Amino acid sequence: MTETVSRVGGPRIDPMLLTGVLPFVVVLSLWALAPALADIPAYKLPSPLTVWDTFWSMTADGSLASEIWASLRRLAVGYLLGNLIAIPLGLAIALNRAVAETMTPVLSFFQSIAGIAWVPLAIIWFGVGQGSVLFVIANTIFFASIYSTVIGVQSIPQVLYRAAACHGANQWHIITSVVVPGALVQILVGLRTSMAYGWRALVAAEMIAGTNGIGYMTLEAVQWYQTEIVLLGMILIGILWLALDFLIFRPIERMTVRRWGLLQ
Amino acid sequence: MTDVSAAAVRGLPLPRVKTSQWRGILGILVVLALWQVSVWIIALPAYFYPAPVDVAAAFVDLINKGILPAYIADSAFRYATGVATGLTLGVCFGLLIGLSRFWSRLLGPIINFFYAIVEVAWIPLLVIWIGYGFNTILIAISYVVFFPVLYNTLTGVQTVQQVLINAVRTLGATRRQVLTSVILPSALPNIITGFRVGAGFAFRGLIFAEMIAAGSGLGFLIFDGATTRQTDRVVVGMIMMGVLWLALDRLFLRPVERATIERWGLVRAQGGGS
Repeated sequence: MTETVSRVGGPRIDPMLLTGVLPFVVVLSLWALAPALADIPAYKLPSPLTVWDTFWSMTADGSLASEIWASLRRLAVGYLLGNLIAIPLGLAIALNRAVAETMTPVLSFFQSIAGIAWVPLAIIWFGVGQGSVLFVIANTIFFASIYSTVIGVQSIPQVLYRAAACHGANQWHIITSVVVPGALVQILVGLRTSMAYGWRALVAAEMIAGTNGIGYMTLEAVQWYQTEIVLLGMILIGILWLALDFLIFRPIERMTVRRWGLLQ
Repeated sequence: MTDVSAAAVRGLPLPRVKTSQWRGILGILVVLALWQVSVWIIALPAYFYPAPVDVAAAFVDLINKGILPAYIADSAFRYATGVATGLTLGVCFGLLIGLSRFWSRLLGPIINFFYAIVEVAWIPLLVIWIGYGFNTILIAISYVVFFPVLYNTLTGVQTVQQVLINAVRTLGATRRQVLTSVILPSALPNIITGFRVGAGFAFRGLIFAEMIAAGSGLGFLIFDGATTRQTDRVVVGMIMMGVLWLALDRLFLRPVERATIERWGLVRAQGGGS
């Protein structure tokens, strides 16, 4: 990797980084040149510069920051609310086999309709705005997470319970030293997939039922043919997700993989 | 003693599966009963909180008018073509990137970036570019399926044991033969896993795309039912969505995944290296 000969003089840039950047440059220049070359009207594809200007003007008047803040806060509230209820409840349900078996089909059913399909019903119940969007996100995250947790506990080998019981563990010890660590992989999977589903649900719910936020901004702009705002919204949705992933999930994953040896 | 415990282990699952199914059915019935009782207690107008009876009536009505079968057929067609397109492209790009370090360096970062722009975010732009209808939905669904398939194909290709490739090449295999008889089979379990994950996201993507960009289909049924205050229809759409997804997942995707892992997974399990 490092054996590639780097040119003398000039800043040393990792050649790998350079190759990776190249497609971005190609896409950007195609984007910039396409309207002129293929005769695409500006309302269909505004130039990168227009989008950049929009970005600056929306940053300057603070509207962009407030939309992003609205979305992120909603996501955080929905995520915490959903998971804080789902994981303990999931563990509690899964502890008793009869309860778990009774609940599993219901949970998997709700998990498969959770999300965007609830938006219209949420609008009827809560009206357009904050309440609906939050309901949809929390709902999505809750079912994705609880289902994972229940499956996680069920996948713990029976032997481990017996072993712990043989060593004189009481109910509480079994929970803390068998159930929770045993289900942890699935709980983490749940935390992660519920975020992925939650993020999609957030953007989608804001588009249909929102009154602010990044999803609302993006779809609302379609009505006015403000394609530069649509493009800006898309890019920001991508960047925000990458940021969430890098800042929150990668470190957690690295930590837990190392701590619990969860590498598959 | 080992015989007894083995027999106990072997004997146990049979009756347990049955009780668990009974319990599962019980769970569903309890939810339905709670729903009906809560309707009586809350006593709100039917458009706000429809009862199971209303929903069943709406279901029969939608079937009789032929709306529901037609919508499901529309959704199924869009879904199938979208998933097939995404799967094909995902496998092709996964192989390309997995097999060549150059392409992986070149395309890796930009693919990561586009993966982060969820399909939901593309729909507004696609509506401006292409308008409402089949093509927008097709692109959105292919887009969702593409990435998980690509990433899993990549993992599959990268974890192929070099020994196997060397062995086949020693026997005089061409590049194409290496691809078809070693790399593809050993990446297949990963590809199928990616397919199942992608299919799950795509199903939700389909519902959303139909809400915004279609005049038929399950997503449209759910959305249109709400705007016309036919909430019973909304709930019919939601239940159909859940039932269809569970049927697809349990009757098709999971058996396929299990079969591939059983059939081809051995190849990976032998070497011990990850």
